[in-house]
Amino acid sequence: VKAEPARRALLVAAAALPLAAAGCRSIGALATPPAVAPGVRVLARAIAGEQWLVHRYQAVISGVAGRDGPRDLAGSLGPILAEHRAHLARLRARLIVPAGSAVRLAGPVPAAGAVVPASPAAAIAALRAGELRASADLLGALAGAPPSLAQLLASISASEASHVPALDRMGRAA
Amino acid sequence: VTRPGSSLIVALQQVLADEHAAVYAYGVIGARLTGRARARATDDWIAHQRARDSLEATLRALGSRPAAAAVAYQMPGPIRTRREAASAAVAIEDRIAAAYLGLVGAATAALRERAALQVRAAALRAAAWRGSTVAFPGLPGGDS
Repeated sequence: VKAEPARRALLVAAAALPLAAAGCRSIGALATPPAVAPGVRVLARAIAGEQWLVHRYQAVISGVAGRDGPRDLAGSLGPILAEHRAHLARLRARLIVPAGSAVRLAGPVPAAGAVVPASPAAAIAALRAGELRASADLLGALAGAPPSLAQLLASISASEASHVPALDRMGRAA
Repeated sequence: VTRPGSSLIVALQQVLADEHAAVYAYGVIGARLTGRARARATDDWIAHQRARDSLEATLRALGSRPAAAAVAYQMPGPIRTRREAASAAVAIEDRIAAAYLGLVGAATAALRERAALQVRAAALRAAAWRGSTVAFPGLPGGDS
């Protein structure tokens, strides 16, 4: 009685074998990776840029703002970080990378640029520069994006540009 | 010459209609404000006039007749106080951002960037009136 399930499993496995073999052949025929849809590279770049900004804000909030700087700096940066997280989530939700494709998503941490400036003013200036660069990068990516992705990128670019005057106000207060 | 019914012309005319409304609205908003807020309303009023003129020129260049402004427009809400004037400005800028975002979806590469710059300008004006930023200017549910 005990051996019965094992035997049944073996029979099922044997029945599945020809299918597996057929599967192997068809996978072999599709050895070249599927083409990457236009927009996937644009999207992957936008995700990498957004991840970078999220890490910068996290580093400043836990570094400068928490250590010696004005405590309300962390409180002011928090809502902007939340908006970048929302950008990142919306971009990631659109990404469907075909298995075996050549597109690689950048890892989250560019270690070289991860040093947090010592003073609150310098940290805010660095965030400001990052926002401007990210906003401009997204504008530059519009031409290569399908219409609905272009709309999302334009909206995120506008949001990032609007963070600049907010950072300027924090910089004056710091 | 681009055909009158093409999606690009329809999108441009839609944005133009919203710019006409914005020019009208800032006239009403500015009248309720004083000092720095009034100066800001005047700056934004001029920005919308320039954007309107630019859209009209683009439509003419495409061989299409720009839609004329209406005599009057329904304001987004009552404008009796400074706070209500600022809320009206936010509502107008949100609408303008959405209109240009529509153009980003419809336009050719060159117009796309121009439209995106206008989304940005509207987001900056909206943030100044609102006193805070949003994650997705011009998209439905723009703050989430």
